[in-house]
Amino acid sequence: MAARPRRRIIAILIAIVITSAALAVISTFAVSRLLQEQAPFLPYGELRVGVDTSYFPFAMLNDGEFSGIDAEIAQALAEQLGTSLRFVPLGFDGLYDALYTDQVDALISAIIPNPARRDRVNYSEPYFNAGLVLIAPDQSPIASMNDIAGRQLALAFGSTAQGEANRWLRRIPLFDILPYERPNYALDALRIGDSDAALVDQVSARLYQREHPDWKTRLSEVTVVPYAIATRADRGRLSAAIDAALEEMQTNGTLSAIFSRYL
Amino acid sequence: MMSGMTSHLQQIGSRLFGFWRWYLRAIVLIICFGALVPAAPRAMLQAPQTVTTVQPQLCVHSRLIDEVDEWKIQRSLELVREMGADTIVEFFPWAYIEASEDHYEWGQVDRIVRHATNQGIRIIARMGLVPSWARPQSSSFTTLNTLDESHYEDFAEFVADFAARYAGQIDQLIIWNEPNLAFEWGYQQVSAEQYGRLLQAVYPRAHAANPNVEIIAAGLAPTLEPATSPAGLNDILYLQALYESGAANYFDALAIHTYGFTHPALETPAFERLNFRRAELLHDIMLEYGNSNIPVYITEMGWNDSDRWAYAVSPSERIAYTLDAYQLAANSWDWVDKMCTWVLRYPAPTFSYPDHFTLLDTEFQPQPLYFALQAFGRGETMNEALWLPAPDGE
Repeated sequence: MAARPRRRIIAILIAIVITSAALAVISTFAVSRLLQEQAPFLPYGELRVGVDTSYFPFAMLNDGEFSGIDAEIAQALAEQLGTSLRFVPLGFDGLYDALYTDQVDALISAIIPNPARRDRVNYSEPYFNAGLVLIAPDQSPIASMNDIAGRQLALAFGSTAQGEANRWLRRIPLFDILPYERPNYALDALRIGDSDAALVDQVSARLYQREHPDWKTRLSEVTVVPYAIATRADRGRLSAAIDAALEEMQTNGTLSAIFSRYL
Repeated sequence: MMSGMTSHLQQIGSRLFGFWRWYLRAIVLIICFGALVPAAPRAMLQAPQTVTTVQPQLCVHSRLIDEVDEWKIQRSLELVREMGADTIVEFFPWAYIEASEDHYEWGQVDRIVRHATNQGIRIIARMGLVPSWARPQSSSFTTLNTLDESHYEDFAEFVADFAARYAGQIDQLIIWNEPNLAFEWGYQQVSAEQYGRLLQAVYPRAHAANPNVEIIAAGLAPTLEPATSPAGLNDILYLQALYESGAANYFDALAIHTYGFTHPALETPAFERLNFRRAELLHDIMLEYGNSNIPVYITEMGWNDSDRWAYAVSPSERIAYTLDAYQLAANSWDWVDKMCTWVLRYPAPTFSYPDHFTLLDTEFQPQPLYFALQAFGRGETMNEALWLPAPDGE
């Protein structure tokens, strides 16, 4: 008979422990949110943007002048946020450490969101998809990778396109891969009729089309490689403001105008 | 009143106890289902292998430490052996192995050593990355490269423990990486003198732990940054400063990083130019300070064949320049013990130009340079074309 009250007491104690643990987790989360909301928006009174200036056409540095898609997005963003802009040129390897050590407020440098960094980094909504695209002549029946079966596909040897094509070889009936040294050669092959379609990354495709404006093609996205803006996870207000500014830039055509100048 | 309340509490307790039993049953059920999930496959060791090569300097820098799947470690090392390289440089981060002070997690290192030994491959270990407990607690703005002098002895202890555990298996230890770059130095002002003191802390303890250990001074980043730059310091000036600080007593060998960027392998070196033969200028500094008798390991070298990186070349140029570089080293650089291409493979793609430094993509698909180096290691010329000729009109 004495065992039942003891069990009940144990059950009550366990319930108290579980409830306390849940409350502790909730309060920690709430405090963390509160601290984020109270963190300074731009603690240095300007938007400091880390950028690797060696990656065409996203960021370049010539004679002290920053240019490129990411450089222009940073400029437009600073205007949207009503603040001045300072570029901090960095190497690719040093981008995130510069963010962690508060050398910069944001990274705008063809950054691909990395789930493993989300404990310290917020990523904006993507502003570009740099993934692979399938290109075919505009009158071609090829509208997706499913239509490649039995046809020829040009691509750059050893590129991500080859890996993707190898995966498709396991899904659909056989097709011929035409490997070239560079994406541009694969696109040349398609343009002059040596191939039925080409699989290259979005940037290569769009740069090539700028050089051949009369060439009519159809593009379909095959993979998604999103570019986004990275900020510190403890600066939630800045992250939210950047998302809002990007949305505004999308709506008012600023983003598409920037991309059309380079791609 | 009291009895009513007691009865009420008893009812609550009774219900909670009911929940508690269900809670226990749920845990038992989860454990049972967990037992049904197959364990991650272990990579079985093959019969011991040896590397066959006619190019003893051939070496590659790997990135195995972040591999989750053991079979990928094994496959990577098989491909190193099949390429004809008998040595890898591999990174062993302090932060991974001693994440809590005095608690070591050697499992991943053991796996890498086991498979490398099985493939007949020697490992040169690169040591670095600071665990959070050894980083300054006063600031939240630290990186994995932030190591202040008060923790040099902790790092030295870790290196000594590593040296003792792997004595006879890993006897060459590179201390840190590119300390002439601010970001590799925790975004602090770089200092050859400070780095010299780090070597001084490590050297005696590592040698006490393993008398055959070779402490290798870190490869410096090829850079032209002047002394006033917050980003880093010119590698030649840094090496001079390191010798001036008396650090030569605290390393047994020197690592060199030398990249070709957009220049051919045989281009003449110059103080104000970053090219492959810049290694000769660093070697000249060694001679100047009377340190010519120690081994030199080129632990990073190579070219990048990204389409859009400002410092890249074409895939065919990458092959030609890399082979020229190895041939030059074989013919004329007898002071170079090993020359390691950066990099074998990344565990995950960066989706940016660093992917174009690799010899294998993340799915183990060999890049053109892999085949070229494999032929070179076999003393053959690669005759088979890997790609179609550029279409007419180019």
